[in-house]
Amino acid sequence: MTFSNSNFPDKEGFYGEYGGKFVPETLMYALEELENTYNKLKDNKDFIDEFYKDLSHFVGRPSPLYFAQRLTDHYKSGSIWLKREDLNHTGAHKINNTVGQILLAKYMGKKRIIAETGAGQHGVATATVAARLGLECHIYMGAEDVRRQSLNVYRIKLLGAHVHPVDSGSATLKDALNEALRDWVTNVDDTYYIIGSVTGPHPYPMIVRDFNSVVGKEVIDQSKDLFGKMPDAVVACVGGGSNAMGIFHPFIDIKETRLIGVEAGGEGVSTGEHAAPLNDGTPGVLHGARSYLMQDESGQVKDTKSVSAGLDYPGVGPEHSWLKDIGRAEYVAVSDDEALKAFHEVTELEGIMPALETAHAFAYLEPLMKELDSSANVVVNVSGRGDKDINTVAEIDGIEF
Amino acid sequence: MNRLTSKLQNLKESNKKALVAYLVAGDPDLDTTLDLMHLFVDSGVDVIEIGVPFTDPIAEGPTIQKAHDRALKNNISLKMILELVDKFRETNTETPIVLMGYLNTFISHIDLVQSIGENSADSILVVDVPGELNLQTYGITNPNINTISLISPTTKDDRVESIAKNSTGFIYYVTLRGVTGSSNLNIEEIKTNIQKIQQYSDAPTMAGFGIKSVEDAATLAACSDGVVVGSSIVQMIADSSQSKEFDRIGKYLREMKTAIS
Ligand SMILES: Cc1ncc(COP(=O)(O)O)c(C=O)c1O
Repeated sequence: MTFSNSNFPDKEGFYGEYGGKFVPETLMYALEELENTYNKLKDNKDFIDEFYKDLSHFVGRPSPLYFAQRLTDHYKSGSIWLKREDLNHTGAHKINNTVGQILLAKYMGKKRIIAETGAGQHGVATATVAARLGLECHIYMGAEDVRRQSLNVYRIKLLGAHVHPVDSGSATLKDALNEALRDWVTNVDDTYYIIGSVTGPHPYPMIVRDFNSVVGKEVIDQSKDLFGKMPDAVVACVGGGSNAMGIFHPFIDIKETRLIGVEAGGEGVSTGEHAAPLNDGTPGVLHGARSYLMQDESGQVKDTKSVSAGLDYPGVGPEHSWLKDIGRAEYVAVSDDEALKAFHEVTELEGIMPALETAHAFAYLEPLMKELDSSANVVVNVSGRGDKDINTVAEIDGIEF
Repeated sequence: MNRLTSKLQNLKESNKKALVAYLVAGDPDLDTTLDLMHLFVDSGVDVIEIGVPFTDPIAEGPTIQKAHDRALKNNISLKMILELVDKFRETNTETPIVLMGYLNTFISHIDLVQSIGENSADSILVVDVPGELNLQTYGITNPNINTISLISPTTKDDRVESIAKNSTGFIYYVTLRGVTGSSNLNIEEIKTNIQKIQQYSDAPTMAGFGIKSVEDAATLAACSDGVVVGSSIVQMIADSSQSKEFDRIGKYLREMKTAIS
């Protein structure tokens, strides 16, 4: 078995005109080392077996494809299926990628692990796999995110990792990524950087996609078993784009399935106060890759706004930019208010409390179910559970503990 | 011939080392930057490197990051920086100027970069474009501008060769694993690596990234064609941004120039 049959990216790491390796020279050697290691291991039976064994015994895969009866009744049309990544160990899709990348780190003999995190889910997932292998672990997190995701900060510390709050710039995910890259430049010889999304320089967008593609592959099999055909649409939220890429990628050649990515519309795309580069950005270079980006006319990266820390990022993975331009995937946005409404609705109707990131995907069901015909099967990627967001939601609802 | 190329050639022919000094345009304001550029020259600086501020400068340590942030508060753009260079050129047509920054700010203003004339900036150093990638790929084909590539302690031999060949201004040897302003210089490694670069290329090789003192500068100049000083000057600029008394910087640079000669 191989991870991916895709022709993309090309040798230089480009998806069409997006992607590439735009990094300081000191990192070029490390990226090449990573790419060579990955290319060697991805067809190695022992490596693949170890990865899938960890996914089933440590993560708990496969995750169910669950029929959401009351949500379906609520929309009075079609059938809504939930891909339950929220049931994974540590509570989100992020663990699929970290389980894979820590294996790469192990094969490369790296002793020190670093990562950036926004919502804290990737920080938790990284600290978890580092603890399991007894490796030193450092997590960079924007100071603003440390505040709004305090539960995850504590989880990361319990797992024995060090949390470094980042004050520079907007003190959110993009600044955490900057700081992680600076750490990597400094400690490149013994350090493995586990990037948390399909972002960053080549080969990261490809590696993170391939490890997360297990989600889409399972959905293909489960759809055949459960409703005997391919879904009409797959819906996923898009921050950096890893949960969306993981579920979209195996579907790219299955043309009857619409692929819909939902970005964070913040106060509304028309206000400019959002985190929706595919809806309202232009191509630019950030964090080692060329992709759609929220930037001003001088090429300075704009501050973003979203109620969801994991979507609060001005860039997006390069393969999404390419899928947008070639028209294979559609990218829409929903506002903070719409996402919060969906958060409550799904919790009350299904007994499943989604992460605020995931709530963005749910919010798009409102227009989508009206548009699709009544026989349509729609799969929503439930990228994570909402426990980490209880403080944020309570604060918005004016509740004090 | 390009101002930078001929300056470095002249220095080499007379067996002298180049002193390259860095500041961030618009920190604390553009008028002060202009004054500082003249102060640099009066204090013995051979080449001025102007940092083009960017929101996400991933190769910079805290000192230079903060300078970028201060400049961005003043809304400094590439257009304003080229106007600053024009003003500088009204009284100084000798000193080469290098613009150092990140790809996104240059490609957002490709028309400006393409229109740089002979009597303006002389070279561009893009920190996040690997050496073997040609800036022409990104639309930067201006014959008045030469390019500077970085080589680091982790660059493998086969790449040293191709990068050295692509560098038309000078080769910038990054003296450590780290961001600007770090302090873990390994002199033996630096010597070996610069010798290796010089096997492949006749272009001058400047050493920079961790030079914090006159002594560092002297040591590194002994094994290179010159040194680049950045963070320590940027820190002095920050310290004196209220008083605007920059005598200390002049003294520091003069000592450095003497020490490397
Ligand atoms: C539950 C959950 N969903 C989605 C995301 C967004 O990331 P991505 O777009 O890479 O899936 C995050 C990021 O922290 C997350 O925690």
